[in-house]
Amino acid sequence: MTRRLAAIVLALLTLAVLAPAALAQKPVKIGVLTPLSPPGDAAAGQLIVRGAKMAADDINVKGVLGGRKIELVIEDDSGTPEKGGAGFRKLATQDGVVAVLGQFHSSVALAVQDLAEQFKVPIFATQASARGFTEKHLNYSFRTHVIDTDRVQLWNRWIKEKGFKKVALLAENTDYGVGLVEDTKKLFPSTAGGAELKTIVFDRAVVDLTPQLLEIKSWKPDVVINIGVGTPAYLIIKQAADVGLLPGTPMLVSYDMPARAEYWKNLGEKGTYATFIVYYHPTMKLTPRGEAFRARYLEQFKEQPVYGGLNAYAQVMLLADAMNAGKTDKPEDIVKSLLANKFVGWNGTIAFTRGEGPYWQQWTPPMLFLQYTKPEQAFPEAKIIYPPELKTGDLMQAPKR
Amino acid sequence: MDAFILSQYVLSGLVIGVIYGLMALGITFIYSIMKMINWSMGEFYMIGSYVQYALLAGVLGWSLWYVALPVAMVSVFLLGLLVQRFLLRPMYVGGVERRDEYATIVTIALMVLFRNLAIVLGGPNQYAPRDYARATTLVTLPISGNRMVALIGTLVLLALFFLVIKTTWIGRAFRGAAQNRVGIQTAGVDVLRLDMLAFGVGVALAAAAGALLAPDFLVYPENGAISTFKGFEIIVIGGLGSVLGSIVGGILLGVIEALGSVFLSPAYKDLYGFVLLIALLVFRPTGLFGERERTV
Repeated sequence: MTRRLAAIVLALLTLAVLAPAALAQKPVKIGVLTPLSPPGDAAAGQLIVRGAKMAADDINVKGVLGGRKIELVIEDDSGTPEKGGAGFRKLATQDGVVAVLGQFHSSVALAVQDLAEQFKVPIFATQASARGFTEKHLNYSFRTHVIDTDRVQLWNRWIKEKGFKKVALLAENTDYGVGLVEDTKKLFPSTAGGAELKTIVFDRAVVDLTPQLLEIKSWKPDVVINIGVGTPAYLIIKQAADVGLLPGTPMLVSYDMPARAEYWKNLGEKGTYATFIVYYHPTMKLTPRGEAFRARYLEQFKEQPVYGGLNAYAQVMLLADAMNAGKTDKPEDIVKSLLANKFVGWNGTIAFTRGEGPYWQQWTPPMLFLQYTKPEQAFPEAKIIYPPELKTGDLMQAPKR
Repeated sequence: MDAFILSQYVLSGLVIGVIYGLMALGITFIYSIMKMINWSMGEFYMIGSYVQYALLAGVLGWSLWYVALPVAMVSVFLLGLLVQRFLLRPMYVGGVERRDEYATIVTIALMVLFRNLAIVLGGPNQYAPRDYARATTLVTLPISGNRMVALIGTLVLLALFFLVIKTTWIGRAFRGAAQNRVGIQTAGVDVLRLDMLAFGVGVALAAAAGALLAPDFLVYPENGAISTFKGFEIIVIGGLGSVLGSIVGGILLGVIEALGSVFLSPAYKDLYGFVLLIALLVFRPTGLFGERERTV
């Protein structure tokens, strides 16, 4: 009897000693809610997941909060608010994540940020740029990406400096596309040097844009701005070349899709002379954290990293830093830590302040205009044509057909 | 607006309309023989585009698209035979009640299955075969070589289809089945085998559209959605079960969409076809070439 009692006491003592250690080793879950299937821009989502996974691997060498592992829970939002909402609910309630990142489509980001507020789980826009995301001044919404208004101001400055007189804007009917159209219309009279603007908004599901492109061609614009995301962006370039609008008329693609490896595979020589906006260029000087990511990405995937991966990597890293700084894995306290501290990003220091308008819990990367001038040109060889202080080449125009 | 530009809009609508007609033809053909709606038609279009891309990228090389096209059609034809034999045929034997409902459920399930299979096997990204031909001009319309090839390919396939239907024994059997399934059985035709063939031919036509349009409309798991969507719109406009109606309905839809999106708003491009569809349903419920059912 005494022996049995001794064994029970010993077992209880062992449990009492080991249980907190076991609990302490419970992984910290971070959600990645991003488009991984159509109609979302699935290629963008895959790149975001790559970056987030690499960050988790790097953090897990030492762990977070004294040795706990980071576990990523990946959910597909398909680029639709309905699936995004369902995915966020699952992450917040079932998986118990401490934060969610990976938001790419503005329509989804704007829908799920209200859930983030409701469940008190911080959400990070990785590449969703709608002004409204940070303009709503929500406590749990953070962004380390550009704001559409800044994007519009930059292209208006470019239009003015290049002396373009007629600008056509072809946009998909999403929050991103419509938001950019509205911002452009609002800012155009004061910042675009008196140029004339023509805007066409099309349904994102439409695959034949020939009539719209013929209309634009007959209007004889000096530049066309392509505001499609994923498939529509490719269709605009392809069909603009088919009707003879490209390559004679310069086209600015509104985001960094042409930086991806599949760009040339999908477009062939029709992709030549496209100008596009990027937030990262391989010649940029990065922080040691950014450099380490770049080197490892090149080694692992045998291709240049693109911004989506880089930004997702930095977001997971800064979340780990915020947890360590605040010594907490509670979402509310992570938010406090995010606001109270400064973090090392991929190309500089990231700090979240609560500024005016859309500059609320917002950190903005640089924006550059790049241009391909040869078929199959590698992304690092694309010339920076804007802004003037960073440019490595001038806009090249192809001869008109 | 001058006549030159207007002619471009009309021509672009005509070209896409003829191609829409090919998408709709398969749906209406299957319906006329089997009296069932194939809701997974767009996915056979999608499979056709994937097979075409895989053949060109991995086996034949980019220049042999005209070899890949019949291979893609035959592959999807065989897949159609299998689907019909193992998933649809059981509904046509043994006097199954509520056959239409079963057919709807089976083909919707196939739609989801094929889409997800495409994501698993090919990934969620877009692909595009290289251009089939150089850009050219059709009267006043600058047109991609691919679109021109798709137009010519569609016209050839339509001509072949009509030739087979009008002049061959099997064509007569199809026409007979379309008119009266019981009657044709009394003439000694194996209607279940005819169903299998009709389903195969119908989905092969959708695959042809997918393969022809692959360089222009890209290859991705959801690219067939537009074909299903437009196809059903067209067969209601043209008249359910009418082959001629699917061609005329396709052209009408193409032109109306092209003009509506230029003169009204491209944001509502899909709405214009539906306005026409609703108007037709009000004034001519059987569609342009559909006939009222005659029962004794």
